[in-house]
Amino acid sequence: MSYVDAGYIVAIGGSFLYGLSLFLRRRRWERALSVQESTPDERPAVAECP
Amino acid sequence: MSTSMSTSDGALRTPWRPRWLAVVGIGAVVTAALTVWLGLWVTPPDEVQGNLARLLYIHPAVATVALYWAGGVALLGSLLYLWPRTRSFFWDRLAAAAVEVGAVFSALTLVTGSLWGRPVWGVWWTWDARLTSTALLLLLELGYLALRRVPADAHIRAKRCAVAAILIAIDVPIVHFSVDWWNTLHQSGTVLDPGFNLHVHGSMLWTMLLSFLAFTLIFVWLLAMRYRIEVLQDAVGDQELEVSLSERWNEDAELVGVGGGSGAPGGDEGGGS
Repeated sequence: MSYVDAGYIVAIGGSFLYGLSLFLRRRRWERALSVQESTPDERPAVAECP
Repeated sequence: MSTSMSTSDGALRTPWRPRWLAVVGIGAVVTAALTVWLGLWVTPPDEVQGNLARLLYIHPAVATVALYWAGGVALLGSLLYLWPRTRSFFWDRLAAAAVEVGAVFSALTLVTGSLWGRPVWGVWWTWDARLTSTALLLLLELGYLALRRVPADAHIRAKRCAVAAILIAIDVPIVHFSVDWWNTLHQSGTVLDPGFNLHVHGSMLWTMLLSFLAFTLIFVWLLAMRYRIEVLQDAVGDQELEVSLSERWNEDAELVGVGGGSGAPGGDEGGGS
């Protein structure tokens, strides 16, 4: 791999990976908010420990 | 003490998919793909640098985002938050989002610059004024992000961060003019010289302008996504605080009930907290 290829991979790939991380973080926070806002009845059932 | 960040929680529950953001995202992908195609396959090699000049279709655009777009938005948001008439958490969140995106692009600037510097200068790194001031910019941005994680009242945190963002902005003109103020290994303006004369022409110029557009669109998309996360974080934080307070009040009420009003400890604290 040449320095040029590495530069393009770092710049484009780095931007893409950061964008992907933001997308996943956004989904996680949206889920956290919806769980927090839901009433106990609406919350997803959690398996109880035996 | 009020820590409410005044987020419209009802609107937050609905999925956030604005059409303009999709347009920006598609535009960013298309222009970035065109930049790669033109930069790697269509434009001719440079007379002096050969194929290494192809890195100049990427590095200056990334640096522009890190310095001017991210630094500018962070400064604008911080000043508008500090100004009492325009004080709003919108500006604080926008500045925070811009600093994080700016930190990522500052790191990319240093890495892509280093990848160009190794074959052209013969070193990965040198304590040149441009490189050092850019590294300082990254450190200041990381400091801002660390400061933002220090627990504090929302307004106090926003004020501290706004001052930190102004410190970051002070470094931006230092980075820009470093090649003129000091004798540096780094070249002066890549596209324009101080007299605004073009250094680049033809397909090389168009490819470079396209890369500026591509990374600007990428920046807008990332900024919007990061801003949305900041809003969600504040909303979750607000709700956690409300739950904690209501639990505390319930505990106090129970203690008062058990104590029969005979001066149970904590009864007064609950109202004051």
